Amino acid sequence: MKRIYLNLITTIAVIGSANGDRLVIKGSDTLGAKLVPQLAEQFKAQNPGTTFDIAAEGSTTGIAAIIDGTAQIGMSSRRAKSSEVGAAAAKGINMKPTVVAYDGIAVIVNANNPVKSLTKKQVEQIFAGDITDWSAVGGSGSKVSIYTRNTSSGTYSDFKELAMKKRDYAGGSQKMAGNEQIAAEVGKNPAGIGYVGIAYTKAGGVKVVSIDGATPSIQSVQNHSYPYWRPTFYYTNGEPSGIAKTFLDFTLSAAGQKIVNQVGFVPIK
Amino acid sequence: MFKRFIYLITAASFILGGVAARAQDAGALLDLLVRKKIITDQEAEEVRAELTKQTAETSAGKLKLSTPITELEIYGDARLRYEYRGGRTADNTSQPNDWQERERERYRLRIGLRGTLADDWFFGVRLETSQSNRSTNVTFGDDTSTTSGTTTTFNGPFAKNSDGINVGQAYLGYKGFRDITLTGGKMPNPLITTLMLWDADINPEGAAEQWKHTFTLNFGQSGVAQAEQSYSKDNKALAISKPASEPWTLKIDVFANFAQFVYDDVNPENPVGKRGTTDGRLKPQTDAWLMAWQVGARFNFAKNYYFQVAPVLYNYTGNGDTFNSHFVGGDPSLSNSDSLGTNQVGINSLLVLEVPSEFGFKIGELPVRIFGDFAVNFEADDRARAAGFPDKGDQRYAFMIGAGIGQLKAKHDWQIQAWYQHTDQYAVDPNLVDSDIWDSRVNMHGVAVQGGYALSDAIIFNLTYGYAWRVDKGLGTGGTGDIGINPLDKYQIFQADLNVRF
Repeated sequence: MKRIYLNLITTIAVIGSANGDRLVIKGSDTLGAKLVPQLAEQFKAQNPGTTFDIAAEGSTTGIAAIIDGTAQIGMSSRRAKSSEVGAAAAKGINMKPTVVAYDGIAVIVNANNPVKSLTKKQVEQIFAGDITDWSAVGGSGSKVSIYTRNTSSGTYSDFKELAMKKRDYAGGSQKMAGNEQIAAEVGKNPAGIGYVGIAYTKAGGVKVVSIDGATPSIQSVQNHSYPYWRPTFYYTNGEPSGIAKTFLDFTLSAAGQKIVNQVGFVPIK
Repeated sequence: MFKRFIYLITAASFILGGVAARAQDAGALLDLLVRKKIITDQEAEEVRAELTKQTAETSAGKLKLSTPITELEIYGDARLRYEYRGGRTADNTSQPNDWQERERERYRLRIGLRGTLADDWFFGVRLETSQSNRSTNVTFGDDTSTTSGTTTTFNGPFAKNSDGINVGQAYLGYKGFRDITLTGGKMPNPLITTLMLWDADINPEGAAEQWKHTFTLNFGQSGVAQAEQSYSKDNKALAISKPASEPWTLKIDVFANFAQFVYDDVNPENPVGKRGTTDGRLKPQTDAWLMAWQVGARFNFAKNYYFQVAPVLYNYTGNGDTFNSHFVGGDPSLSNSDSLGTNQVGINSLLVLEVPSEFGFKIGELPVRIFGDFAVNFEADDRARAAGFPDKGDQRYAFMIGAGIGQLKAKHDWQIQAWYQHTDQYAVDPNLVDSDIWDSRVNMHGVAVQGGYALSDAIIFNLTYGYAWRVDKGLGTGGTGDIGINPLDKYQIFQADLNVRF
């Protein structure tokens, strides 16, 4: 009798393996553009049969997906807002954050811009529109062109909180869909300034400015001495389980954090 | 280890503030603990998420404010009132020495929002019951029917026709310049004044510029005096500093308040066709403005003594289309109805200097204040002449003197104040004076007593009684009040209020 049960369990396990596990991940395009797909590829190599459904449409969609129960992992480059946590609690969802990587937000200018460093106050004033000409911060006399992420991006709101005391962006700022677009525009515009994730600072035609003397690097982000850093998260409904837990553990493993480093994010340790 | 941090954070949160503020307060503490490597980022995030969840489940956590609002205060008050007021006709009228009396039960509600915005801006909005400029009261049972033209509509008992909500205040301001406050809109009165000239319910409309700076002056000896020798029980010498004599400090708040209030808007300023005429004169077609210039100081002496004086000059420009006829203010030689029908609201020939002042000190823990006000209209001669009483130009002064003791800040606090108030017929603007004392009238003088007791921190019980007489028997009592008598030979008022403030 025991043998029959054992055979049955083995059969079910084989069928399960043959069908594979499906992991639905939604959320941040910062995480979802490069990092999570590469983690997924590596994970699939180690766990054949696992399939991923990754939708990177902004942190808000990732948190909403956990609340709605339409994803097992919500990627987010910001913390869940009080209103989101409240909405989740009302549905019995426990929003559990897990820090998976750090992201340094670098301020970039055109490579030909003579400005090499800015203070936090100057960054706030530039992006809020108080300073409109580069001559006010040691640059050549030309009108500042500001490039920001679009409003659904977690980076858009994170930068306001990290660098602008929650002030609104200057009226004439141009909103871009992603980090690459900002880097490309700043690279083409000698008067341009924008911000990108630390992974995107190697783009052509741009250079990173130091902030209060600190430049974004693995060390300065890990020890939090660089001012514009942020944790990035996987959100789950309570403690993760099953394939979600396996993938989260992989992300935090040495192999996962190596990928984190390779795609330009900062490992958590 | 981690549990210890949870306890630490939770305890700190309760110490630092209310539930709604926990997440923010703990956030700074968590950041510090992470920087000091006492906890990891992951541990900090888990605590932060738990606190955010707790906050989100509170009432305050469910209230969302737009980002530019840096601070928001909800405030207001509600009041139940019983009131008696009565006025007596003069003894030389067709119905001599007859009292017209009115009793009414009333309520009022005022709910306000005050907020500060990013970049030194601020705003305020207050909703009030009653459309009246000088009252926020609604009288119970006064709207059982309403009449429009010849049509009377039966509203029934407990109707809501008079229970309206109106915008009492709506203003925007800027405090970005040092010591300066700029305000525009329908605002709380920016002037330091008394009810002798301004009813406290009036929220003037226009612009105001306020400047205030505090100067601190030190007099007398300062520093530590030379040490004296002293001995302890075991006869060891101790060097003990002799208490230095306290330096005498005088703190002076110097302030200036300027106001430009739109008193009466003409519509249109430039009509199609010829301008109309009144008594052969072209009708004025410029907006009426009330301008005010106030400069004053409050001298704060040691031991809670203070003295404040705040002279203010009022002038009116333009004429408007409601107040552009000459003020008469009643006429004792006319019948009561004709006297009431004379102009009661004209703002011609008013150039008024007001000097409110107050001296305060404490008896034990009890605050005491002696207050007064004085006003003179420099153009009273012209105002009297235009009213048809050219020999009454000396009726140009108004003054009050009173004293109060106690305060109404917390449960079981009490306060009593009494004052004498005298207002000549041509001294001040009758459209602004307090509507209770004395029934919005000028040419009256009398005494008033108020007493209050705080049943709780938020509930105040108040009693007010006032009695007044006509000042000049040869003149009416100008102004539009609740008592349909002019001249108002005698007047009395009693009010019992139960206030809830929040």
